[in-house]
Amino acid sequence: MPASSRHSGINKLTMLFNSLTFALFFPVVFILYWFFTNKNLKLQNAMLLVASYFFYSCWDYRFLFLLLFSTLLDYVTGIRMKEASSDRIKKTWFWLSIVINAGFLGVFKYYNFFAASFANLLEQLGLNVNPGTLDVILPVGISFYTFHGLSYVIDIYKDRIEPERNFTDYALFVSFFPLLVAGPIERATHLLPQLKRQRQFDYTQAVDGLKQILWGLFKKIVVADNCATLANEIFNNSGAHNGSTLILGALFFTFQIYGDFSGYSDIALGTARLLGIDLLRNFAYPYFSRDIAEFWRRWHISLSSWFRDYLYIPLGGSKGGTWVKIRNTFIIFIVSGFWHGANWTFIAWGAINAIYIIPSVVLQTNRNNMEIVAKGRIFPSLKELATIITTFALTALAWIFFRASSIQHAFDYISRIFSASTFDQPSFFKLKVQLITGLVVFLMLAVEWAGRENPHALMKFGARAPRFFRLGFYYMLLLCIFIFSGSDQQFIYFQF
Amino acid sequence: MTRFIKKTVFFIIPVVAFLCMADYGLSRILKTSNLSENTVWRDVIDGNINANVAIYGSSRAWTILSPEIIGDTLHASVYNMGLDGHNLNLQLLRHTLYFKYNRKPKTIIHSIEIFTLQKRKDLYNPDQFLPYMLWDKSIREFTSGYEGYKTLDYYLPGARYYGKTTAMHNAYNVLAHPASNKPERIKGYQGIDEQWNDDFDNAQKQIEFYEAVLDTPTMIQFENYIKEITSSEINLVLVYAPEYIEGQKFIRNRQEIMNVFLTVSKKYNVPFIDYSNDQLCYDKAYFYNATHLNKKGSEIFSGRLASDVKKLLIGKQAG
Repeated sequence: MPASSRHSGINKLTMLFNSLTFALFFPVVFILYWFFTNKNLKLQNAMLLVASYFFYSCWDYRFLFLLLFSTLLDYVTGIRMKEASSDRIKKTWFWLSIVINAGFLGVFKYYNFFAASFANLLEQLGLNVNPGTLDVILPVGISFYTFHGLSYVIDIYKDRIEPERNFTDYALFVSFFPLLVAGPIERATHLLPQLKRQRQFDYTQAVDGLKQILWGLFKKIVVADNCATLANEIFNNSGAHNGSTLILGALFFTFQIYGDFSGYSDIALGTARLLGIDLLRNFAYPYFSRDIAEFWRRWHISLSSWFRDYLYIPLGGSKGGTWVKIRNTFIIFIVSGFWHGANWTFIAWGAINAIYIIPSVVLQTNRNNMEIVAKGRIFPSLKELATIITTFALTALAWIFFRASSIQHAFDYISRIFSASTFDQPSFFKLKVQLITGLVVFLMLAVEWAGRENPHALMKFGARAPRFFRLGFYYMLLLCIFIFSGSDQQFIYFQF
Repeated sequence: MTRFIKKTVFFIIPVVAFLCMADYGLSRILKTSNLSENTVWRDVIDGNINANVAIYGSSRAWTILSPEIIGDTLHASVYNMGLDGHNLNLQLLRHTLYFKYNRKPKTIIHSIEIFTLQKRKDLYNPDQFLPYMLWDKSIREFTSGYEGYKTLDYYLPGARYYGKTTAMHNAYNVLAHPASNKPERIKGYQGIDEQWNDDFDNAQKQIEFYEAVLDTPTMIQFENYIKEITSSEINLVLVYAPEYIEGQKFIRNRQEIMNVFLTVSKKYNVPFIDYSNDQLCYDKAYFYNATHLNKKGSEIFSGRLASDVKKLLIGKQAG
């Protein structure tokens, strides 16, 4: 993956959701949370905050100071803006926070990209300069907690919310461990009120949380990690494979990134539910979408809605003329692509999605498919199936840019797909692994299709079936996790 | 809450029971596997070695030194404990367990090489430790410094088999195809019946030369090991087996490393037989790559080494 080698956590893997370390860490937190601190909200939140900082420091304790500084800055900014005696002072605090937050992101995430791109540009003009790149590692979760802080500061500036005066509660909002390293990107209006009130243990919610965790683990460990092995092999040696194998590679990556990120999100949401906290939903079966606009309402929902609320709407949104709509759509998708990483491949991926979606924005058909597909029916109609497959194919094509090491690599990859070699038999270089991976992807899609009307796939899975059937299914998932877990792959979104 | 805890515990109990049973079953089956290193680990840990002469080293011991030929000359039982892909540290794990579970040998022939005093980061072929590593202090101490297993893998039943699809597949093969579970190594030795391959040419294409890095803790470990052996009644012979001559030139600091071996040999008065200029080194026909003699070469060399060791031992007895 581009940029992954710069990541601070890449070789540590100490507190991944799918690690034994986390399997020991979480029960301890759960017991302390519900049995020892449950009668005192302040103590309970303080304990959660300490646990969250411990969780984060397991990745790299040095960046805990950065997280603390960012948290403190936005906390103080919020209060200062509220207490500001004039608009000028309020604005000064607001921009101070924006500039410092953006500055952190700029230095850690984008400095090298800009320096190298600038040097490259000068080189094209005949000037040789040393770009002076920094040998820095990317603090895990920086894009996520920075966006938490930014939304909080913007909401206070716009007088949408009151600043939080309890530092522990605010710090917990930013650093709550289930969402700290890869989201969902929470809003103060959603999470803070939950942190301010006494949580009651809810049996149904807790059981549902466990189911969601199990499903997330299956998607991450069995689906994504096995797809990753095959996708890596094909993408890293794309020049040696024919077009049909490259199509397989693109499909494996398409399922890898979904299994990886939606699996992570399911574990995060399930973990939070065990603590009586609801996090924002991040995925809503995006690969069953019938058009690209629907896909973007169902993929990484917390980020899409963040960009909608804090970028697209302030720019004018879909109000105004056609060109304004096109401009705003391009901006939001390119910024979204750039948010994912400092590489032209992500920008291209964003631009392609903008191109996909612009016709529906201009023709105002982007809100045609608001409900989940085939609601109340078992199978989709042929038309629905055709639109799902078309949307999926377009998405898979765009993912090639996301996965490729460079723009040139992506173009080479795609040109080989659109060549005569696509009609050759694909290379089954790891036949057994490919077959097993195909089967687990099918299982994932089947279960998600069956559960697509619920917030997560296992929520009501087998609800009408005998209890032993459900239990048997859960044990089968665990067995799959034990046996078919792929090679230990990093969660993709940890690098962002 | 009580209901939740109770139900969760009842759900987890079968999982824990399964993990314990899977651990026991898989370990038991894998112990019977004859895949490469498994045979030697089983013999070492089950106390089946019973040899007068033990051969230590890496793959350059495993594929080069034939116990049968050496045993015929020395009129002794010989076992080859060469450990593929690993440097001194894990060779000493095998030595530790060998001494713990078996009768000690009278002589150790230790095949040393350029890589002996290096330290690798990854735990090459980690599956070989699976059946034996649960709650084993020695294996934990020697292997935990590598990028391989996590701490809990040494303590929690079943944990280390998590995602070990190849090991599970091997266990399945042992059960489903017992006829194909034939030993690959006889008394730890496996002659490789191959001609010169592309390994060396490929290495030369990739890098101009190789520079071995001496690891200080491993050097200390080496001296401690020699002190341990020389202070006992056991004869120790250090041997540098033939390497193809072009391959010797490929290692830039070869002489520096040879000097280390020579110095240690003199310091502790341990015989060191260096075959770097043996006539075998000048003929590719005896090698399958630059560092490994093929079966034909290994049989000739084993005979030659046995004669030299015999002279040494007779000389020592006479002295």
